Amino acid sequence: MNRKNKIITFLFCLVFAAGLYLYFGFYNRSYETIDNVATDISISSRKLTSTYMLNEKNANSIYRGKVIEVDGIVKEVSFLNNRNTVLLHGNDKYSSVICDMQSDQIEEVKKLKAGQKIRIKGICKGFLKDAILLNCMLINTQINE
Amino acid sequence: MNKIIVLLFILTGFTELEVKSDQIITRQGQTSFFSYTSVENIEAKNNQVLSIIDLSKHKIAVSMLMNAFVFKKSLMHEHFNESYIESDLYPKATFEGKIIDFDPLATGTQIKIIKGDLTIHGITKEVEIKTTIENNNGNYLLTGDFEATVKDFDIKIPPILAPNIAKTISITFRFEYQPYEK
Repeated sequence: MNRKNKIITFLFCLVFAAGLYLYFGFYNRSYETIDNVATDISISSRKLTSTYMLNEKNANSIYRGKVIEVDGIVKEVSFLNNRNTVLLHGNDKYSSVICDMQSDQIEEVKKLKAGQKIRIKGICKGFLKDAILLNCMLINTQINE
Repeated sequence: MNKIIVLLFILTGFTELEVKSDQIITRQGQTSFFSYTSVENIEAKNNQVLSIIDLSKHKIAVSMLMNAFVFKKSLMHEHFNESYIESDLYPKATFEGKIIDFDPLATGTQIKIIKGDLTIHGITKEVEIKTTIENNNGNYLLTGDFEATVKDFDIKIPPILAPNIAKTISITFRFEYQPYEK
């Protein structure tokens, strides 16, 4: 009987520990940073917006939810609502690629200027008037042409 | 004949000018929602909300990507998109409405009601939203908050998670507009 109790107690502890592990390790997991994730697609900001404007549904099936690397020219850098956002020129003057930068990118983002050619990696979320990329980071900021 | 052509030219020129200054846009509007329960508080923010206001028609349109809401925990984001909002099927939430008694020329702050159709999860509901409009020399800022009932939009929450999610969700918004150059 005593032995049985011990086993039950042990099993109970094990389940409890597993629960704690799951809660803290999995449920409480925050977002991964994008540097550890492999790029699915590389594309220019012009091509990305033009593909979306041509056929949004089709473009979504290619890019939505994917980690993409975008080459483009800086249209604007914005710090609205405490976000660090880089807008890249799109296919025409009404469209752009909105890149919401990861918070660790702030020092690099501050140095960016309109007209600069850069490459950004982020997760594509879709298109409204502009393509939207979240969790973005700069890659090889030293592209000089 | 030539005079008429010139006149037409001027007229069309003017109307184009009007169109130019009549629309304002934000591509980086902010919308947040909050769910407060005794079990847990859930908060999410979308910083890439698109909105256009037609100042002469007093019309406002808003569109946002549901999968661009950022949560504190990635599992919440997953549940929200896959189970509740089903963002693969219904990627956008939209609002189209009219700002009642809006005076675009009045500077300073005015509090107005926006009446219109809110579409979430493929379901459209007529809503009235109170908004504070600040006009700072042609730079418009719209802010406000309202509540939406989860049930109204046919969002199914499994019974086991029901205590974690509030029946009514409070939504706040902050849209800072710029002139929209056509």
